[in-house]
This record gives sequence, C-alpha cells and structure tokens, in this order.
Amino acid sequence: MLQHDVLIVGSGLAGMRAALEVSEDPSLDVAILSKVHPLRSHSGAAQGGIAASLGNSAEDSWDLHMFDTVKGGDFLVDQNAAELLAREGPENIFELEHMGCAFSRDEQGRVAQRRFGGHTAPRACYAADRTGHAVLTVLFEQLLRRGVKVYSEWYALDLVVRDRVCQGIVAYDILTGQIEAIAAKAVMFGTGGYGRAFRVTTNAFASTGDGVVMAYRSGVPLEDMEFVQFHPTGLQGSGILLSEAARGEGAHIVNSDGYRFMADYAAGRMELAPRDIVARAEQSEIEAGRGVTDLQDSVFMDLRPIGEERIRYALPSVLHLARDFAGIDPLVDPVPIQPTAHYSMGGIPCDINGQVRLKDQDDAPIVGFFAAGEASCVSVHGANRLGTNSLLEAVVFGRRSGRGILDVVKDLEPTSIDEGDMARAIGEVDKHLRADGPEKVGAIRAELRDTMMDKCGVFRTDEQLHEALADVKSYQERYERSSIDDHGQTFNTDLLDAVELGHMLEYAEVIVSGAIARQESRGGHARRDFPERDDDNWFKHTLAYREEDGPRLEYCAVNMEPQHREAFPLQERTY
Amino acid sequence: MAEQRFIIQRYDPDSAESYREEFSLDVQPGQTVLDCLNAIKWEQDGTLSFRMSCRHAICGSCAMKVNGSSMLACQTQVSEAVELGDPVEVAPMGNQTVIKDLVVDTTKFVAQFERAETWLEPHEDQEPPEREYRQTVEDFDHWSHASTCIHCGACYSDCTVAAVDEKFLGPAALAKAYRFVMDSRDSKREERLKFLAETEGGIWDCTRCYMCVQACPKDVLPMDAIMELRALSIEAGYTNNHGSRHHKGFASGVRKRGRLDEASLPIQSVGITRLLTLNIDAHKEMLGYTPGAIRLLKTRKLLEAAKRHGASQDGREHIQRIFEEVEAEKHHHDVDADAFAAEFETALGSG
Repeated sequence: MLQHDVLIVGSGLAGMRAALEVSEDPSLDVAILSKVHPLRSHSGAAQGGIAASLGNSAEDSWDLHMFDTVKGGDFLVDQNAAELLAREGPENIFELEHMGCAFSRDEQGRVAQRRFGGHTAPRACYAADRTGHAVLTVLFEQLLRRGVKVYSEWYALDLVVRDRVCQGIVAYDILTGQIEAIAAKAVMFGTGGYGRAFRVTTNAFASTGDGVVMAYRSGVPLEDMEFVQFHPTGLQGSGILLSEAARGEGAHIVNSDGYRFMADYAAGRMELAPRDIVARAEQSEIEAGRGVTDLQDSVFMDLRPIGEERIRYALPSVLHLARDFAGIDPLVDPVPIQPTAHYSMGGIPCDINGQVRLKDQDDAPIVGFFAAGEASCVSVHGANRLGTNSLLEAVVFGRRSGRGILDVVKDLEPTSIDEGDMARAIGEVDKHLRADGPEKVGAIRAELRDTMMDKCGVFRTDEQLHEALADVKSYQERYERSSIDDHGQTFNTDLLDAVELGHMLEYAEVIVSGAIARQESRGGHARRDFPERDDDNWFKHTLAYREEDGPRLEYCAVNMEPQHREAFPLQERTY
Repeated sequence: MAEQRFIIQRYDPDSAESYREEFSLDVQPGQTVLDCLNAIKWEQDGTLSFRMSCRHAICGSCAMKVNGSSMLACQTQVSEAVELGDPVEVAPMGNQTVIKDLVVDTTKFVAQFERAETWLEPHEDQEPPEREYRQTVEDFDHWSHASTCIHCGACYSDCTVAAVDEKFLGPAALAKAYRFVMDSRDSKREERLKFLAETEGGIWDCTRCYMCVQACPKDVLPMDAIMELRALSIEAGYTNNHGSRHHKGFASGVRKRGRLDEASLPIQSVGITRLLTLNIDAHKEMLGYTPGAIRLLKTRKLLEAAKRHGASQDGREHIQRIFEEVEAEKHHHDVDADAFAAEFETALGSG
C-alpha cells in the first residue's frame, strides 16, 4: 500500500492549484495522480479567458460579477459560493500573473480584458485564445519547481470511504497494469466533467466523469447532474470548440437568410447573451429550417466583422481550428457551427472549502474527501455557467480546497486500505480482461452518445427523456455482455475505454433521471413541455443517491446567504 | 468515401516483437489521421495503442510520425498525409523508447524541462506588486509565441541532434528556457544564459537543421529561440565555451580575410589560451577534429583552404562595412540573430 498525507486526483487547474497550496506546508507529503500527464489535462483546452473584476478595461466590481454569475446561472447558484468566486477572483489572477502566466497585455502593460457572454463588463483576462493552456502550463511549472510527486498515467478506479471517512483510492498503473492501494488522510477530486456521453461535444476523450462516478459509488449523492451546458459555437460535426472570444471580439451569428437572429432572442446582448440562450436560439433556427450547409444542422458564425489583423492577433487558435478541422478560412468565409456539449454544471456536492458534504438534513461531511473544479458542484454556476467562470472556479476553489485540506489534515487519523476495499476494482479489471461476450465497447458508446444528444440535448421532453432512460438501461445490460480485444498488462487503453464506458453509462442514467423529474426550464435544462422556470416547485438542487435499481432523487435548498452583501433576489432572466 | 490503406508500426511489449501491420478503412473527406486510428482501434483491432485526448491540437498527446515526419495525428488531415505517401505510414515518435505500438516513454523529454528549470523564478528580494507586473505589449509579443508550446515532443522526435546526443536539452526545453530568459518577471536571466551556454547539451549543440521548426504544430519556432539565446549569451559575456568561440572565430576570420578561414577555425573554437595552458579537455577537443582534418587532407581541401588568402580587396571592404553596420545596429536594437546570420551569408557569397 502506498501512502501520502494528501492525494489529489486529477491534474487540471483545480487539482494542480490545490496541490500547490498544500505544498506550501513542506511537512506534508502531497501527490497528484492523473490518468493523463498533467499537461494533457482538459483545462488546457479552455480558450477565451478567465473572469475577474480587475477593472482594467472598464469599471467593474465583484458585486457586479457576482450578480452576473447568479443571473447567468438562472438563480440556482449558491450565493455564498458566487460571492467568493467574484471577491477572490482578482487576487487569484494576480497570483497566477506573479507565477509567470503569459497573459495578453493592454496598452498600459496590465492584464488585457475582453467582453464575454453574460458578463456586463469586459472581465475576461486572456492569453490570446489559449488561456487554459497558459494557466495550466504555469501551474505545472510551479509544481515542478516545488518537486511535487506526480503519478502520471495512473487511473483511479475507486474511492475508498469507510463509515463516512475517506481512506484513499485504488488505482491502476497504466504503464504496468498493476493495481495499487494509495491511502491518504485527505483525497481531493479535481477529475473534470462528463461531456463525453454526448455525440457532439467539445470535451476531450478523457472527460468521462470518472471521479463523479467513483464518488457516487462510494455513497456520495450527485448534485444537479441534469444541468449540462451546450456551447453555441462548436464546429459542425466534430463539436470542437471555437472560443466564445470570437463573439467577444465581435463575430456575428447568422441563419440561412443571413439574419442575425439573436435580435429575436436576446436583443439587449445579441451574440453575447449567455451560452444556454444562444444555443437554444441556434437550435430553434435549425429546427425551423433556417440551418445552413447541406445538412441544415448548423448556423454560421461570421468572424469577418472583427477584421483580419485583430483575428490574427487575438484569435489565432480559432483561425487554425477552423482551417485544420473544417477546411474553412474564417478570414474569407463564415464557419458552420452548432450547439456542442461543453460543461457539466453538476457534480460532487461540496462546500466553499471543497469539503464534500452529503447536503442532507445533517449536511454530513465525508471526512477527508474534497472536490473542486468541474467535477464538483459548489454550486457556483447553478443551472448555467458563464464563459470564463470555469477557469476562475477551478483556480479559486482549487486554492480554497487546498487551504481547506491544510486546515484539517493534521488532525486526521492515518487511514488504511485492505484487500476487501480493493476487491471491486480488481474484480472489474479482471472481468474486462476475461470477458468474451459479443458486444463491443465502441458500438455501445456510439449509441449512448447518440441517445444523449438526440433525446437529452439542448431541448428535452418527457417522452424523449423516457426513451433515453430506456436506451441507457439497455446499454447497461449490453455492457455486461461486452468484451475487449486487448488482454495485455502494458498500456492497455482498450481496457480503459471499457472502464470509462461503465462510468458514462452510470452517470448518463443520473442525468436523464434528474432531467425527467425536473419539470421546468432553467438554465441549461430546457423542457419543451415545461418551458417556464418554476420557482415555487423547482428552486432547489437535485441530489441523486445510488440505489440498486437506479438513482433515488432528493433535493436541497439553494444558498441565499452571502457574507458581505444581501442575496440577489429571484427575478426574471431576460437579456 | 474512399478506401485508404494505413501501415502502422506496431510493438508488442509482451513478445518484444516489432512489426508493420496494414489496415484498410473507408475515409470521409475531412477526417484526420487520429479519426482513422480511432476507427481502426474501435472497429478492427482494440489492441492498437496510442495516446490521444483533446483531438484539437492543444493537449499534445498524439504526436507521432506520419509518413516519416512528426506531427499531431489529430491535426493532420488524411488527404494531407496521402500527399506525403500512400499508403499512409504511421510510426511512433523518434528519439524515445517505444513502450507499445505508438506509445513512447516520454520520461527523458519531460526531464529536460526539469533540467533546464523552465519555470518562473520570482525575485526573492522584493515583494510582488499588489496587482499585476506591468509588461508592454511589445515585450509580451516578443516571447509569447514561445509560451504556446504544448509539450507534444514532435520537435524532439525529429531533432537530428537528439538522435546522436542523449544529453541535448532539445528544442522544446530550450525554447521554453528562452521564454523565461525574455520574461521580465523572472529573476534568473543571467543564471539561465550561463547554464544554457555552458551546460553539456545546451544551446551550442544545435546544428540549425530546422527540423524542430518544421515539426512544431504551434508557433514556437524553437530553433529561432535557440539562435536568439546564443546571441543573448554572447552579449551577456558567456563566451568561454566552444560554441561561442567558434562563432567568434568564424566572424573574425571572415572580417579579417573576407572569407571563412577553415584551417584556423578549430584552433579558435577550442581556444588558443586553453591550448597553450595545456588544458587537457582542450587537447581532447582538438583531437576530435583529427579524423575530419585527415579527410580534408586526403582530399587536399585543407591545403587549398590554407593556400587561399581571402577575398578581393573590394569584397573585404564590403564585408567590413557589413560588420560596422551590424555593430551600429546592435547599439540601437536587440541583436537579431537571424538578420545577423543572413547578412553573414550574403557577405560570404560576395567574398
């Protein structure tokens, strides 16, 4: 059994920021474990920016940032968390800047800021259109400087929790195929989102919700899983992200008539309305027969109004992505785009210090278990996240989790993992290596992704959601009869694909179940059959507990108690 | 839709067997090499192993050799690959040990960043400002391209020096070192330049073959960064090394004679003072030139080189003027190593 004081699972922004904070105490033994090398983490794919009310471009304040976040999240935002996000934003940006982050500069040499959807001030600090990459890189550099231990290309299989006390994890060394127990007094999950269950997605192949499902299996409920953000500007077909920065810089979105249809949906903000609203507007135009290209499944984003020089300087990645992956030169032609599954608002419930809590009547903690970033649900994004708030959340709450761990870890007892704790993980790997069933992982996964996209996508109905649930159940059964080709020990990615599909099938059921139950439209969850927001019945977070025959749903209240100001009252969300 | 053949270099770690395997599949227009590898893995042979994640050229996982050159599989259209060779040959990256199929051991590559300490070293003696450090747009634009490295290893895979020298820090780590040398927030500029100029496998080991710039899927331009580091290290006075002595000997020979003085260059590179003081390493280095010198003697090239006295008077004067102009320029601007080199080559041509 391997042992550390603190083990961080996941090496994106949240995980690395937490590890950096914990490493401030040299007496603590901290390690990071990740199924990909830290520099491959999906945080690096974030493009447009990281929000903070620096006020470098125009007057701004944390109150305003908090309000935009709460409204952007359709008021399902825990206001104590949104307050912290906004208040601690600037100091976190300056800290990253002091670490060497390659932020683009304004004429005064300060961190440059640009406009972004749903934000009333130009608040997005950016590094051209590769902001996530710039922040991820600088955090990894500083971890190297500190000499933090990294288990690179290790895959966590199980979280071990005994009597609501976290013991550590069971992990699989991808290089050797060995399964090891890693005990730790404190474990933090920064394992990312779960967008891979959708056919059209911006997410990396790695974004398979592993951490979320491990927590779920260990008895932790999952919060607000039905809220999945569809980003309005995915490249047609692949769903590869074209940054919202394009719209921030002035790109237009038009339908087959060449009409800037956002005038009909959010006249006050046009293309810079929040993502859920723009995505729904696009989907509505497409369904009304005003889509573009032969398939009529997309609309056009036109970057030409921005001007060639500015596109080249501020949006080089957008330019390259359109050229490399769609064969379109945005300097010459508009780019076909469509809604693409992008961000997971739901996740592992935790408090503002990253402490995982059941959010039941006693609000009981899982001692020694923390979460931050997209895998967690603080809930700072509520029903819909604003662009550039995710990187900020990962950094702010990664740091807060690190501090939360520092606050308690020395009082925690040493933990241990025995053979019984490892049995499930060993059994799972063994089962896949021995299975000889007729079903193939790739085929089931493709069908799952179709189901989730077509029946649990931008717009949802009771009928389609029930079909989706039946589909998912049937895929779960077929999965039991699946087999893989690779039975080796070394770098067996075939095996990992199978394990990941198991996770996707598990959380897909939670998404669909939550969506069926929530009979209203709020943020990223849009029901055709219940088009209005229903605060009387649904102003509450969903909590899904794992039971034998599927998730059991309960609910908890939204936090309306910020520390430094009054809560923003519920209001109609128009732009 | 058209059928496309792929030949994939495989390695089975259990049997330690290497082999090439052909696969055929239908390819749609717009599909990338990674799309095809995934289709092969998911539909034909699940044992095929490779790294991949973001599939849009930012995570850096899927660098491999396609028809002999290193690139990101996700960023390479099959239609482009076919232009380089049909069937499309896919092989693991070079200069690294293969673990399985297209997966290589990146330990050595990653360790180079640690060796070059490519992270910001803040000023210890002063508190950081309350807000951000100020950096001008021009300052930022000068080095930010080098910060776009996604650590994919494509440059290292195609590096001709890494192929023969395990100790070479490699294009990616050197470009990243350059980024910190140039960043005004860093406190270790001098130490970095000294290290990069003097360590074994540092900036002077690059042969300027340009492969790294060609392989890089981003805008890092590693070789340009290395050349700029050379100029900066000479400026900073780190000249007590083979590379900069060679540079200096090269330039002074041209300045004096109006042409390259091949006969005396080795002596100048090793260092006359070091040779006279019987520095053992210097004499070993000198011995290293012997096989080449013998070859030159055999072909009478060295003799010819020694016999020639240099360029014509006109040519020499022209070259002198170039040196003077470049020196005057240096007082006004940062040294532009490439411009310097280009002028040099023009001068040699006219000499």
